[in-house]
Amino acid sequence: MHISDGVLSPAVITAGWAITVLLLLATLWWGKKDVDIAEEIPKISVMTGAFFVASLIHVSIGPTSVHLVLNGLLGVVLGTLAYPAIFIGLVLQALLFQHGGITSIGINVINMGIPALIVYGIFKKGYSTGINPSILGIICGSMATMLSAIMLAIVLISTGEEFTEVAYAAAAANIPIMIIEGILTGSVVTFLLKVRPELLPINKEK
Amino acid sequence: MTNYKIIWALAFACVLLTAIAPAASAHRVYAQEQVTEVQIRSWYGGGDPIPNADINIYAIKNSEEELYITDVTDEEGLYYFEPKLGVVEYRVVVSQSGHQKEITFNVAGSEGSSEEAELPLSARIVAGFGYLVGLAGFGMYLSARKTK
Repeated sequence: MHISDGVLSPAVITAGWAITVLLLLATLWWGKKDVDIAEEIPKISVMTGAFFVASLIHVSIGPTSVHLVLNGLLGVVLGTLAYPAIFIGLVLQALLFQHGGITSIGINVINMGIPALIVYGIFKKGYSTGINPSILGIICGSMATMLSAIMLAIVLISTGEEFTEVAYAAAAANIPIMIIEGILTGSVVTFLLKVRPELLPINKEK
Repeated sequence: MTNYKIIWALAFACVLLTAIAPAASAHRVYAQEQVTEVQIRSWYGGGDPIPNADINIYAIKNSEEELYITDVTDEEGLYYFEPKLGVVEYRVVVSQSGHQKEITFNVAGSEGSSEEAELPLSARIVAGFGYLVGLAGFGMYLSARKTK
């Protein structure tokens, strides 16, 4: 999922940074409207920490090696603030683990952050229509991974790769991850609803 | 008669000298070392090999690059190629769906490139959490100042 340095053209890298900076400002502004960011900092830090180390957990099934992303979980738990959290997590991963390049951080945040925002929207909508939150969590967790794979394929079109080929390969490779993340997000949501429901962004708006 | 004797003596001396002298050839001799195979191994952090990764090999001669081979790695993430005669410097780019690594090396007198030295993984994880705690603290400090 992490695109390395030297893969993308300068135009795509610039566009990636521009979109990421805009989305960072937008999500922080949105987050401020919904919650007190100062109160959320411990939660954001813990989730960012989980995101930061998650990419070290490799699943090698078949010919490829994939790792956990946890962007779905961040989207569901942090809401719009998942975007800045993913940004910080990816910067740390790039600097300390060399996962993905430094120049491509902008694009990588888009690839993982936008799916997080999308599943947050789905989770909020689904929760208000009364769908079982555990099932919603499973759907959101696995869907975020799939969306990231699709976004990766879209970005790689610019390097001349065939969209369907990359999308198919990335999605197929990430099927085990989708299952794991689905179960993980589903169980975290179930657990939080039981123990500390106020930790989910859903209840704040009620 | 004496002339003949001298000629015979000279001829005999010639034969004797050629027998004594070390064998020599009138050809100039060349030798060039040649590494016949270079192995490229590609793997992800964590040690999993990258199979079917696109590999581009550029031969560098007189600091000019030329695309030499384009292929894919095998199941174990390995690729073998035969260097061009007389070209010792190569740049190899391995990539797979957005992941890419580039290495430049010299086949003459190289014992194979070593892995890049870096901090142990545990130290890097701790460093990451350290940064996070620092950032969280900074964020809290900022928001505390705002509320005052």
